[in-house]
Amino acid sequence: MAAKELPVVPSARPGTMAAADMSRLREQRPVIDMGKCNLCRECLLYCPDAALREDKNEIKVYLQFCKGCGICALECPTQAITMVGEYAGNRGFIDK
Amino acid sequence: MRLLLNGNEAAAHAARLARVEVLASYPITPAAPVMEKITQFIAEGTMRCNFVRVESDHSAMAAALGATMAGARSFLITNSQGLAYMSEVLYHTSGLRQPVVMAVVNRALAAPHSRFPEHGDVVAQETSGWIQIFCENNQEVLDSIIQAFRLGEDEQVRLPVMVNYEGYIQSHTRETVDMPEQEKIDAFLPLVRRPVLDVDNPLAVNTVTGPELYMDYKYHQDAALQRAGTLLGEISEAYGAVTGRNWGGAVTGYRLEDAEVVLVTMGSLVSTARIAVDALRAAGEKAGLLKIRLFRPFPAEAVREMLKPARAVVALDKNIVYGAGGALGRELRAALYGFTNVPVYSYILGLGGRDVGVEDLTAIYRQVNEGLAAGKFPALYQWYGL
Repeated sequence: MAAKELPVVPSARPGTMAAADMSRLREQRPVIDMGKCNLCRECLLYCPDAALREDKNEIKVYLQFCKGCGICALECPTQAITMVGEYAGNRGFIDK
Repeated sequence: MRLLLNGNEAAAHAARLARVEVLASYPITPAAPVMEKITQFIAEGTMRCNFVRVESDHSAMAAALGATMAGARSFLITNSQGLAYMSEVLYHTSGLRQPVVMAVVNRALAAPHSRFPEHGDVVAQETSGWIQIFCENNQEVLDSIIQAFRLGEDEQVRLPVMVNYEGYIQSHTRETVDMPEQEKIDAFLPLVRRPVLDVDNPLAVNTVTGPELYMDYKYHQDAALQRAGTLLGEISEAYGAVTGRNWGGAVTGYRLEDAEVVLVTMGSLVSTARIAVDALRAAGEKAGLLKIRLFRPFPAEAVREMLKPARAVVALDKNIVYGAGGALGRELRAALYGFTNVPVYSYILGLGGRDVGVEDLTAIYRQVNEGLAAGKFPALYQWYGL
């Protein structure tokens, strides 16, 4: 076993994090009701991971970047965003 | 040109000769006069350097690290509490492989509060990944700081360097120091620029690194530190060719031929031990001296070879690793284990500025001889001079 070849200074090229799938961190995800949305783009501004995009007059969530923090839902002035749990199964003790 | 300089002035002149571009430092006793001297050079126009005022030693280290990452040649000074305070950033600096050079004017750590010399402050940072050089006199302080830049900046190394000399004993005591010509130093020490913070080549530096890569980075860092040990010998020779002074790499011997009892130490005590060895030799004793110039990386293989003929090894430590003993005592035992079964007598002495003279070293020598004659196995470590 030999040590991996690495840059001398521990560093990464821009875009390295964008290549990583973050979806496994998430417990919940935003679901957008486009009937309520007025395209004000507040959610785009607040999203810390740039996981929201506007595409043809619609707000879309890029789920490989979304960590489910819920800031978009909290900041949406028209309450168009609902956080929905990723896991819908049993919780707590499971009876055999 | 020969000048009468104390250790701090010698360090400042070394920084001037090395054409240091950034000095980020916070004043601390007894290192502050280095900073004052460099700012005097800047003020009178004999040195082109940016002095960065900082609010702490932690910030000083961070500023020097940032300046080096931008491609500048950076220098700073500290000791004791300041060194402990910047400890976190020391690890950043070595891990990011930035060749900052720092003069450490060794002083005891509180509590109780002390201003006096010992090596406890730097030994506490032995795992920081820095190269650690120790000087026995002010000429060596000047020469080692210049060599430290060439060593740290070498493509095979790329690591930060601490150049150690003791408070007051060296920092405030004047000795004749030969000042090499600027042109000679310029030829010996060409400026190396490796900016990491480059607007044309943006990088995410020091990103969170997972278990799959962290260990590999550390392997490369340790390998680079080990290479520095060999390289210091070559650099010392090259410097000798320029100035006529070769300090002999990582470890040097004094009167080791046929020596039976060998004193091993570092820093100012080396000069004292040299005189003690001469006195013992004059009295017909087979005494010798091993000078550890490089404590990190520890030159274990060279030490093994040089101590091979000895009947007893005496480690003189101006530090205490609480609950374990002296740092040199521990290193020597580790280096010699399985190679020879020579006993290592480990002495803790001179802490917090307690004076150690020639007569103390001859007394220790006698104690060791008595121990040898009695066939007693030496204690793990013992305190001398209480």
